[in-house]
Amino acid sequence: MSSVTARRGTLGSTGTARRAGRPRTGQAAVGRPGSVWALPATVFFGLFALVPLVATVWMSFVTWGGIGDPRFVGLDNWTRIGQDSLLLKSIGLTVVLVVLSIAVQTPVSLLLGVWAAGQQRARAAVVAIWFIPLLLSSAAISVLWRALLDPNFGIPGSAPWLFGDGNLFGHQGTAIAVLVFVSTWQYTPFHTLIYQGGARGIPAVLYQAASLDGAGMVRQFFSITLPQLKNTVVTSLILMLVGGLTTFETVLILTNGGPGTDTLVSPLYMYQKAFSSFDFGGASVIAVALVVVATAISLIVVKFSGYGEMRSQAEGV
Amino acid sequence: MNSSSPRSRRWRRSAAVVATLAAGALLAGCSGSSGGSSSRPENEIHVAVYGDATNKVEEAVVAKFNETSDVKAVLDVIPGANYQQKLQTIIDTDSAPDVFFNWGGGSIKPFVDADLLLPLDDMIADDPKLEDAFLPSVFDTARFDEKAYGVPMRGTQPVMLFYNKSVLEANGIAVPETWDDLMAAVETLKGAGVTPIALGGGDQWPTQMWFQYAYDRVAGPELFQSALDGDADAWASDDSKEALGMLRDLVDAGGFGTNFDSVKFTDGGSPALLRTGKAAFELMGSWEYSTQQNEDPEFAATDLGYTTFPTVQGGKGDPANLAGNTNNFYSVIKDTRYPDAVEDFLKIMYSDEFVQQQLAIGNLPTTTNTPDFLSTAADPAYSQYQFDLVEAAPSFQLSWDQAYPPAAMTPIHTAVAQFFSGTIDEDGFISAMQALQAP
Repeated sequence: MSSVTARRGTLGSTGTARRAGRPRTGQAAVGRPGSVWALPATVFFGLFALVPLVATVWMSFVTWGGIGDPRFVGLDNWTRIGQDSLLLKSIGLTVVLVVLSIAVQTPVSLLLGVWAAGQQRARAAVVAIWFIPLLLSSAAISVLWRALLDPNFGIPGSAPWLFGDGNLFGHQGTAIAVLVFVSTWQYTPFHTLIYQGGARGIPAVLYQAASLDGAGMVRQFFSITLPQLKNTVVTSLILMLVGGLTTFETVLILTNGGPGTDTLVSPLYMYQKAFSSFDFGGASVIAVALVVVATAISLIVVKFSGYGEMRSQAEGV
Repeated sequence: MNSSSPRSRRWRRSAAVVATLAAGALLAGCSGSSGGSSSRPENEIHVAVYGDATNKVEEAVVAKFNETSDVKAVLDVIPGANYQQKLQTIIDTDSAPDVFFNWGGGSIKPFVDADLLLPLDDMIADDPKLEDAFLPSVFDTARFDEKAYGVPMRGTQPVMLFYNKSVLEANGIAVPETWDDLMAAVETLKGAGVTPIALGGGDQWPTQMWFQYAYDRVAGPELFQSALDGDADAWASDDSKEALGMLRDLVDAGGFGTNFDSVKFTDGGSPALLRTGKAAFELMGSWEYSTQQNEDPEFAATDLGYTTFPTVQGGKGDPANLAGNTNNFYSVIKDTRYPDAVEDFLKIMYSDEFVQQQLAIGNLPTTTNTPDFLSTAADPAYSQYQFDLVEAAPSFQLSWDQAYPPAAMTPIHTAVAQFFSGTIDEDGFISAMQALQAP
């Protein structure tokens, strides 16, 4: 990434300048931004991301139930994927859930974020309230909504004209709708925040010029705001994609994959394989597959959106 | 990206080395069960229990034990919902508890097979009361290959048919004795706008209770036992199909209403239906009583009725047969450093004081001295009723998901739930059960 290279270049030249200025004593490196500065983050990332990842790849080649020693079985776990109809179903469900979440969350948070970017005090107050779900844990949110949606004693029980018998968790369609709704409720504030920041970064002079040219609000939104927010949209999309692919606790608590296996998304299936069926090998295969898919999708989005070039949209202003 | 600079290449290489080393260390840790008792905590025995309302008795037991023992017992309370998961994850490590709560049967079979548990026969030879003080039918649930692997603790939890007395009265329904009575009651109650039977289908295991009893009443305990012994054809037998047909009829008749898939027992949904009179029956473990008592003591005392599962005409199963959690057990890890201290700890499980404490909070221990103290129970009539049921039961079927090894739990739960919601038919259910790995 060019920005990284650029920064490294600057740091490097400063270092060289300083080094030239005083004799090399061996302590010269102390206090200078160098690779040591990256150590805490690197150690953290290595310990909690790389090591488990390597271990997971290794585990996908063994059979292990948590007791006894893991036994190496080569590609057995991987070849079993083909016969696992549940895995295919779970991938399909994951994709459906991610696509629906993005389709619902993006317009809502984009509009709210642009609206919230205004400087009025009333907006700040509304936005502050709107951000509350962001402070709650996913588990708390899921338990809360599970109770609110109880068919007999929750909202559906009081509004039969809308919910019928309230069997929201008993049909695939309504169960998925609940999952999409709850994740929208939970994550829209976060993406609103991103869009708010992005919208505030758009130079006001663009709008002033557009006004002079006679562009109305709608025209300004589509011709200035939206194009200027391109990078923000991509950021938000990638976060939704990767977050959606790993959604776990919301599904576990709200539907536990039910009815039957009709909302069994891949991360939940992986958990069940590992910690209910104690098939850590099979679970690791799903885990590795998820990592590969999530990485691939992110890379594709980055490549085709031009996000990787990180060109400032404010250039030339 | 300037990726080919010597500096970044060096970086990447060293990062790879670090990651590989760390992974190696981690894996060594995973498989390092070589253990031996020396790496286990000194002067401590850890006791792992399922986290719920009974923990106050266990805390008292541990406190009492620690008054006299040099080796101190430490109570590790594990949140209930994930107990089995957590247990299996730590059991082959040095962090494994010395003594742990379980359901006997399939819940400990994999540990017995992996040679992780201590047979208790030496302890029993030393103190015969560790076996003799308990009802034999209960004690045997934790026996494998003639060796005892568990001492009963807490209480027995038979599944019974609970009902709301006022609702039955208001609709002129007598307590159902036969399956036909139940089906007739369903029709009457539906007409009155009451959900006949509350079912926490969202939890799935309450649905399983209906299968356990339907199969027992139609085919007797032998069908499930032979399936458990590896005869998958048992699931395809005529008796099996008849039981499934009965359940199908009950579901199709609207016995559970239409939204049971969205109701849970664990969040209080289905007990509330029964308590508020929106439903008339609920098939549930004996803990239904304490659940209702927690919410509304008066309802539990006056309006909550309980009876056995209805008989089925022409069925092979004895109407006195029970299903549910036979009992909970304490099993002991082979690697324990202090088997003598553990033995002393286990002896408390048949003490008078322990039995009284369990009874006081509504649990029903299965010791031979339990009848002496039934009058001290939270509700003597309820405890006496259960004790008589358990004592008289020719067979006490351990819950299916506990009888099979833990790996079968999710497939069983999925199958019973899908059958009730109509996603799979009889053949689908039969093949799902046939696919289970017998222990």
